[in-house]
Amino acid sequence: MMYDDEEEEEMEHMEDEAEEIDIDEITSEQWQEACWVVISAYFDEKGLVRQQLDSFDEFVQMNVQRIVEDSPPVELQSEVQHLQGDLENPTKFSLKFNQIYLSKPTHWEKDGAPMPMMPNEARLRNLTYSSPLYVDITKQIQQDDDVTEKTYEKVFVGKVPVMLRSSYCMLSNMTDRDLTELNECPLDPGGYFVINGSEKVLIAQEKMATNTVYVFSMKDGKYAFKTECRSCLENSSRPTSTMWVNMMSRGGGSGKKTAMGQRIIAILPYIKQEIPVMIVFRALGFVSDRDILEHIIYDFEDPEMMEMVKAVARRSLRYPGTKQQRIKYAREILQKELLPHVGVSEHCETKKAFFIGYMVHRLLLAALGRRELDDRDHIGNKRLDLAGPLLAFLFRALFRNLLKEMRLTAQKYINKNGDFALEVCVKTSTITRGLAYSLATGNWGDQKKAHQSRAGVSQVLNRLTYTATLSHLRRANSPIGREGKLAKPRQLHNTQWGMVCPAETPEGQAVGLVKNLALMAYISVGSLPEPILEFLEEWSMENLEEVSPSAIADATKIFVNGAWVGIHRDPDHLMSTLKKLRRQMDIIVSEVSMVRDIRDREIRIYTDAGRVCRPLLIVENQRLALKATHINRLKDTENKFSWSDLVAGGVVELIDAMEEETVMLAMMPDDLKVGGYCDTYTHCEIHPAMILGVCASIIPFPDHNQSPRNTYQSAMGKQAMGVYTTNFHVRMDTLAHVLYYPQKPLVTTRSMEYLRFNELPAGINAIVAILSYSGYNQEDSVIMNNSAIDRGLFRSVFYRSYRDNEANVDNPNEELIEKPTRDKCSGMRHALYEKLDDDGIISPGMRVSGDDVIIGKTVALPEIDDDLDAQGKKYSKRDSSTFLRSSETGIVDQVMMSLNNDGNKFVKIRVRSVRSPQIGDKFASRHGQKGTMGIMYRQEDMPFTCEGLTPDIIINPHAVPSRMTIGHLIECLQGKLSANKGEIGDATPFNDTVNVQKISNLLQEYGYHLRGNEVMYNGHTGGKLTTQIFFGPTYYQRLKHMVDDKIHSRARGPIQMMNRQPMEGRARDGGLRFGEMERDCQISHGATQFLRERLFEVSDPYHVYICNNCGLIVVANLRTNSFECKACRNKTQVSAVRIPYACKLLFQELMSMSIAPRLMVQAATN
Amino acid sequence: MGKRKSKRKPPPKSRAVEPLETQFNCPFCNHERVCEVKMDREKNVGFISCRVCLEDFQTNINYLSEPIDVYSDWVDACESANAAA
Repeated sequence: MMYDDEEEEEMEHMEDEAEEIDIDEITSEQWQEACWVVISAYFDEKGLVRQQLDSFDEFVQMNVQRIVEDSPPVELQSEVQHLQGDLENPTKFSLKFNQIYLSKPTHWEKDGAPMPMMPNEARLRNLTYSSPLYVDITKQIQQDDDVTEKTYEKVFVGKVPVMLRSSYCMLSNMTDRDLTELNECPLDPGGYFVINGSEKVLIAQEKMATNTVYVFSMKDGKYAFKTECRSCLENSSRPTSTMWVNMMSRGGGSGKKTAMGQRIIAILPYIKQEIPVMIVFRALGFVSDRDILEHIIYDFEDPEMMEMVKAVARRSLRYPGTKQQRIKYAREILQKELLPHVGVSEHCETKKAFFIGYMVHRLLLAALGRRELDDRDHIGNKRLDLAGPLLAFLFRALFRNLLKEMRLTAQKYINKNGDFALEVCVKTSTITRGLAYSLATGNWGDQKKAHQSRAGVSQVLNRLTYTATLSHLRRANSPIGREGKLAKPRQLHNTQWGMVCPAETPEGQAVGLVKNLALMAYISVGSLPEPILEFLEEWSMENLEEVSPSAIADATKIFVNGAWVGIHRDPDHLMSTLKKLRRQMDIIVSEVSMVRDIRDREIRIYTDAGRVCRPLLIVENQRLALKATHINRLKDTENKFSWSDLVAGGVVELIDAMEEETVMLAMMPDDLKVGGYCDTYTHCEIHPAMILGVCASIIPFPDHNQSPRNTYQSAMGKQAMGVYTTNFHVRMDTLAHVLYYPQKPLVTTRSMEYLRFNELPAGINAIVAILSYSGYNQEDSVIMNNSAIDRGLFRSVFYRSYRDNEANVDNPNEELIEKPTRDKCSGMRHALYEKLDDDGIISPGMRVSGDDVIIGKTVALPEIDDDLDAQGKKYSKRDSSTFLRSSETGIVDQVMMSLNNDGNKFVKIRVRSVRSPQIGDKFASRHGQKGTMGIMYRQEDMPFTCEGLTPDIIINPHAVPSRMTIGHLIECLQGKLSANKGEIGDATPFNDTVNVQKISNLLQEYGYHLRGNEVMYNGHTGGKLTTQIFFGPTYYQRLKHMVDDKIHSRARGPIQMMNRQPMEGRARDGGLRFGEMERDCQISHGATQFLRERLFEVSDPYHVYICNNCGLIVVANLRTNSFECKACRNKTQVSAVRIPYACKLLFQELMSMSIAPRLMVQAATN
Repeated sequence: MGKRKSKRKPPPKSRAVEPLETQFNCPFCNHERVCEVKMDREKNVGFISCRVCLEDFQTNINYLSEPIDVYSDWVDACESANAAA
């Protein structure tokens, strides 16, 4: 022992004490597991689509009720009859809307019987999964002086589509077993709608946050700085009203009297002129210069600031206009249209003056360079509109329409009968159809104004693979024009850390505009600010209306949802109380964000919907609030200790992008150690791997790849085949791929557990050699093992569903599903109609191939009383059957017969075909390394190792160096070790405990080469390959692109009706386009005869007869060989001219516009 | 071979700042947009006249005045004249 006794004793003592404190602390070794316990708790409670579900629930529970209640009562009165000379007192009616009720999803069959509807039934029968909405309506009748009131309870007003797995869905709170019995996939996350049988997702729509003040500088424009405030009352249909306070640029602008310095002007809604700010203040009732200045500059001792305003102060004028109407108009604009979020009632002038003063203040600060300019691309300045706000927007408009229609019909009845029946006046189809229309088409808004509304808000849920589904449910879109050249909105912004996936974004025109949420990102649903306002009032906040302007300079301004509500003199204390309350979930909801801007003396509180936030661990006194006991209680399944208990216990909290700016965030708990980088940490990251989104979380070792490769893989993972849902056998998707023997990856990330990738995988652990072998894997092609493919490697099954239904039954043109017969049906194709059963539908198990009939359908021809038409007599029907795609074959897998919404017979048929991999099919690893199969070698021709192992796939070594996908190589190495160990290997990003050296050492223990290389022998010759080969298992995906779906050629075939040119596209057996660039090439070669052949002879050759006189087309009768130009009375001087049919068509179109294209012909001279 | 213009065209955006009107409806003959204003900035006088009925009016202006202010003054003068009568 080197210490003497005394010291030793002291040391022991210290250790003891440390242990006592630390007994509940989580050590860094424990942290490896502990963080994943916390993350698991989060996903167990929330799942991956919580934002969608919460948003929809908020819509149903709060928004609908608010919209219905806030709508003004429908006031009606009977028309005055003027029968007698005296004054009549008309009867007055008033309708008030009260409580709403949403029942469970219900379907009314055609006979009127209501039935509870299940989602899968809606999917299969092409119904809409929706619930009826009922409202209590109070009808008040006032006749002379007596008032009678009658309440109509639960009046049906329309059907609202229900989001699957939301609390109003049939499937909410169901056990996995119940779900399976209902033919639902227990792993399906919900979060989408079923509209007419198709699954629709609402894509989150990004927008700029309203009600906040932004200051931007303008480069060489009219203004040097712009201060913008887009003000909007929450939960109202009022459009946002924008006001600006701008500083004119020096010398620029109007050119009038620039000697004064830079003028500050305001632009108010509905006022088409710039107004000097001073006048706005005067209009609001602040007349003296001092009064106004007090609202702008809080500290008169500030010489710089005073200098800035001097220029402003001197120009003053009364508000133009003396006439009553003009004043009233101006006053109303100031009251109702200017800054509605501050107030729309009377006597808000003080608040508005303070707010405008604040805007000017901000402008001056920015102009003086004292405060930074605002950043449009900061994600804290953005809001995401989810299903809830989007549906509320629609519902508000539709409910207003409903009331309008109601008023019209009711007035009609009152005029006729003196009273009206309420039930007759409520047109339920307004809401039912309106919501279904927008959800079905994605055009967000009124059907009549379809092209003004946003398109693509609702999309068909991607069901190609489970990951694609999940990713689609967490997508966000910014509605900025795709053509925009501005790069800024597309770039990854620092503030997007942890909120938006840095890798997952599409390539091409939408790059960076379409985003995907990071795994733990959550979108606030919004809560009412009133409780907070009340609390602030109690907690000695000085209300802005009572505050004297001189007090502002030393106090802290408080903003709630962008509106300046008051000042406080002890912000420290206030802030800590607010935070405590939020952590206790007392008064303040946990999703509320509170920002204290110490430098600018502001506290900003936001309760609105659409803020992106994420959970962080709370750090107090350099220690995590999360203790080992929490972890133990989370692990104990009987305990029922969950994520929400962590939130309620003040261990974690939701932090939004704005608040994140004010916290001190540690990456790992290890960083909290005393003497580290910082000793004022307030929060700690749960795990950095959570910054990734759904698709990027599938990638092993993404932190070892070049970043674009992760982006490529994020796009490719959505095209991989796997098991897209466990109930695929009872679904009738139009297209579906299912992999035969899917395997869970040997090398996984921890995040995959939450993405259910192990339960529903999309790939196979293939043995991969990176090797140049025979040259059949050049340029991103791969060699595959034929024997392995014969054993079922990457075999998949492809399903395609066809559907048809009867229509107009018992009408002149009824459409019936039946077997067409040649004696009654016209237009029958040359196909085997005998394959159909007697009911006109093919039977399951039947082998079908290109152009076979699947569903026989006839359309009745209306009877023609034309005796001359012998053909018309013969046929009474026309064939309108459905045929199999001409390039496909398969076996009829399932036939479904049902009734659709209109009660008509409805058929869906699913055809199955097995797709074994073949040359030309596409495969990819999880690192953006894709390739097509170049050749298949039998096992004996494949290279082998000393163990006799042959690869399934051989990729080319040239695929790696330039692409720098090191993750691919580490995955292979880790896979090799895992295979030997018999364990799943970890490939979670940002995990220092797994590294190449460690893997190598372990691999070496199993007797392999340190770096995964192996000696291999040529399969053809048996000779040893001259170099060692990197060899091991790598997870490969089969992508949906297969040659058999693409192969296409045509010699002759169908032509278009209009211009007689060949059809376009493989599905129509079309030609291959000889386009403009190809044409240019041939012109440059001078290959005129070839050009003529391509563009004319094999396209649309035609000949017309031309009058030699006038050059116009003559009437030609080829049967009698007679020609006549009616205008020239010319029957002999006619020439035949060969022109393309499209050319003839053009000439005729020109002639229809009174332009005469004359083809003047001349006999050849020699 | 020009590409056909896409059918979906966003509606023209209304500008926040628009020029003020310079032609007004005559308060006497009710013809539309027939009154024009002459602003004499030197003498601080605004003169408005109708080119149909030749009615006119003159008022004091300052350097911030716009034609519409002159017109407003005219309308106000008419009102007060009517009230007096």
